[in-house]
Amino acid sequence: MNFFSGISAIIWKDLKAEFRTKQLLSSMLIFAVLTLIIFVFAFDPTKDVVRQVFPGMIWVCIVFAGVLGVNRSFVSEKQNDCLTGILLAPINRTAIYYGKTGGNLIYMAIVEVIALPLFAVLFNYNIPAASIFPLILVVFLGTLGFIAVGTFLAALTSNARSSEILLPIILFPVMVPVILSAVQATGAILSGAQTADWVSWLKILTAFDVIFLTVPVLLFEYVLEV
Amino acid sequence: MSYLFAAYMAIWILIFGYTLILGRREKQTQEELFLLKKTMEKRLEC
Amino acid sequence: MTIHNITSKGRFHNILAWATFIAVSVSIYMIFMWVPNEKVQGPVSKIIYFHISSAWLAFFAFFLVMVCSVAYLKTRDLKWDVIAYSSAEIGVLFTTIVLVTGPIWGRASWNAWWTWDHRLTTTLILWFIYIAYLMIRSSFSEEEKKARFSAVFGIIGFIDVPIVWMSIRWWRTIHPTVVSSGGFAMDPRMVATLLVSLLAFTLLFFYLLQKGIFILNIKNQTQIIKQKITEIR
Repeated sequence: MNFFSGISAIIWKDLKAEFRTKQLLSSMLIFAVLTLIIFVFAFDPTKDVVRQVFPGMIWVCIVFAGVLGVNRSFVSEKQNDCLTGILLAPINRTAIYYGKTGGNLIYMAIVEVIALPLFAVLFNYNIPAASIFPLILVVFLGTLGFIAVGTFLAALTSNARSSEILLPIILFPVMVPVILSAVQATGAILSGAQTADWVSWLKILTAFDVIFLTVPVLLFEYVLEV
Repeated sequence: MSYLFAAYMAIWILIFGYTLILGRREKQTQEELFLLKKTMEKRLEC
Repeated sequence: MTIHNITSKGRFHNILAWATFIAVSVSIYMIFMWVPNEKVQGPVSKIIYFHISSAWLAFFAFFLVMVCSVAYLKTRDLKWDVIAYSSAEIGVLFTTIVLVTGPIWGRASWNAWWTWDHRLTTTLILWFIYIAYLMIRSSFSEEEKKARFSAVFGIIGFIDVPIVWMSIRWWRTIHPTVVSSGGFAMDPRMVATLLVSLLAFTLLFFYLLQKGIFILNIKNQTQIIKQKITEIR
């Protein structure tokens, strides 16, 4: 089995298992929307200031919902020792990482496709048609960076006694650049700023994505040793 | 001036606190080793 | 290895302890008695000598963590893990010193405890990253797993630092900066004092590191002996 068919096999396996119950997807989605609703109650959405922090709010929702999903991706393999089965499969260890990352990316994409338009509706946010494409790009790059680090660290923490607590604590400081540049870029795009104003943030996001998608090639083997 | 005092107090409290923690760890391990040594000797005598 | 052998620290330890003591005393004398006050800020400017020294040493400590983590993953020798762990702990201690003295200095000279200045903010994130490193260590019980996972995180964390620094810097340049941290005219005597305190902190770092490594080693040895005893039984 070559590298890419290994990746797609793992993605398919994850998606198939998930679509039997849809438990993870629905809880991620509900959690994202609930977080936003709590924001609405905490800050009055009719005020102008709140509209300025809207980019921050949507990223907090995405990240919190994402941690839920990422956390499950390796812990669920611990049941019935499924991870050993995957490790025994004749594929490269790195393929497991990319497969899991791909699967998580698809979950997040599904959640975002439903939640983000809903957020815009709930906040009466008119998004100009010209900024839709850049917005999708930023959301994609930001989610990719978050998932790349998140999946890797989830594999690391899945062996710990209390992985649900450990993962957010070790993940959030590492992904500071992602959340910072994603929020800044989203804010700049939504306020209709010049391309030059947000393109530098995209560069940081891309650099982060590239670095944290290549580092696991070197280090993932060490995480998945038995 | 009091800020300067506060800053250096904080530095020394932190450093001394850490050395105290290290010292306590050392003492604990030494005691444990001593106990082990004692039990080993006892067993050898028997 | 006999029990007597591992409980003795060796002559090197005492030499380091005395050197540290002398260097720290000299640097304190220089800071409080000898070096002139900075003209604008007055006596408060004397905080910077230990502040800057501990910041550099903290960064060095985290660099050492990364190097030892790589060495551990390559050789699988637990001695590298021991060095990485003590170094991370001392690094967190020095970062805490930076984070405590920074706001005190800021309060005195800028009239604000905390500014989201890129240096201060990066230091805060650095602190959280290495607290996370220590958290990882405390949540695994097997020696081997603890060493392996923390080594992986030690590398990831260090790779992340430059990106954090750059993104926070860009973030702060876009927003208006409340205070400018530049413009500190250095008298030659100030430079000398800074260098001496840096030396003192370097010695302190190595003293603490050596002590930490020693304690961890006897701890590991005790575990091994305990295991052997239960096997004999």
